[in-house]
Amino acid sequence: MASKPMTGQAFFVLTALAGGPRHGYGIVGEVAELSQGRVQLKIGSLYGVLDRLAAEGLIEADREEAHEGRLRRYYRLTRDGRRALAEEAEVHAAAARAVRASLGLTGLTGPAAAGAAG
Amino acid sequence: MSGALGLEQRYRRVLRLLPGYYRERWEQDMVAAFLDSWHTGDPEDDEWALEFCKPTWPEVASVVGLAARLYLGGQATPRRYFAWGQAVRRAVLTVMLVHAVLGLEVLVRTAWSRRLFGLPAPPANLAVFSPGGIWPTVYHLVNVAWIVIFVTLALGHYRTARILAALAIVPGLVALLQAQLTGIMPAPFGPWAWWVLFNLALVLAMAAFHRDAPPLARLPWLLALPVGYLLVYVPVLALLATGNTSWLPDFPGLCCLLAALACLAHAPRAWSRQAGGSGVWSLTLTLLAAVAGAYRIVTLTGYVHDPHLIKVSLAELVILVAAAALVAPDAARAQAATPAPPQYPGTIAA
Repeated sequence: MASKPMTGQAFFVLTALAGGPRHGYGIVGEVAELSQGRVQLKIGSLYGVLDRLAAEGLIEADREEAHEGRLRRYYRLTRDGRRALAEEAEVHAAAARAVRASLGLTGLTGPAAAGAAG
Repeated sequence: MSGALGLEQRYRRVLRLLPGYYRERWEQDMVAAFLDSWHTGDPEDDEWALEFCKPTWPEVASVVGLAARLYLGGQATPRRYFAWGQAVRRAVLTVMLVHAVLGLEVLVRTAWSRRLFGLPAPPANLAVFSPGGIWPTVYHLVNVAWIVIFVTLALGHYRTARILAALAIVPGLVALLQAQLTGIMPAPFGPWAWWVLFNLALVLAMAAFHRDAPPLARLPWLLALPVGYLLVYVPVLALLATGNTSWLPDFPGLCCLLAALACLAHAPRAWSRQAGGSGVWSLTLTLLAAVAGAYRIVTLTGYVHDPHLIKVSLAELVILVAAAALVAPDAARAQAATPAPPQYPGTIAA
């Protein structure tokens, strides 16, 4: 269990691994896609996050595969990682509900909500 | 094949910036990820990239940032790097405290000179005159800003403190460059040494206050500001007010003597410590003594025509070195411990 609030980068990395094991550069691509290009992880930053998540027991190595003469290591969520991600997602969802309620968008979704906000 | 070695070797060279234990665990994986990032799917383009391309500056910067976080370690790093991280964090706070005490001194003397709060008029040599103009105003603002930066850092708002500190050192650099270019600085080494050691290096060392750094003991650090002022500047003001300035060392000398006193005060604890303590304070004091000593040595150049002041400065250096030697062995024990990598659950051995 993480002892400090989860950073945005860690949240996206865990979310990228929620769909299944991924290797380092696969995580970078998935995070870019999930964040719609807003989070572009550099490799140095990624391995800082992976190291911290591994130390906290939220991710673990899954397997290694040979690719073009190099070994790619895949990572997966641990049970603690899944639980931490679910808790963090709930925090985000609660914040989103509060924002929607403040904007009077309760019950509206998608384009209707956007129209009401506009 | 030699092409693949080209880009791969360049990445491995960059990764040498990282601590050995970390490279052992992550290097292969990082190199694979770096090389994957060049993969286009076109064999010719990939071959060309592997042969001729180099790591980009943002990639290198991300590795440098990671290296700084690891060497100035947080709670999850091996003992040696954690000791260095803690020592640098405490040294930064101490230097920041010096800035804050100087800022408090400017505030107090300004208030005294303006006879605020019903204070009597200060002696003429203690009064602060504001000639007006932009530089004196900036000087006052920067001095006061260091109090804010110190408090912000001690309260744990690291990012805000870093930004404010980076802004606070700019006016000093501009003033130095202006003085240097217009030739109005007779002894340039002292002011430059002050800016490099106590401004630039300070801001760079604030990288030690990262996410993995353990929380600070806020109250003792916050209390250190008024206590530091009372213990250091009130006696200085008393010497100035009574005209006994011959007893007063110059600022580099004062730094040396304060660092020496701190080493002497800590020495019994450092010598009595066996395996139980961390030795981090000994390492912190050794770092501070090195900074004070470097400042003293550089500022000696301003006294080349005054043998008496040279002798006094050398005596300060000898006192500093002797006091630092009392805590240095403990500092060496603290950081010489063989780093053992943290145990990660479920990892595949590299």
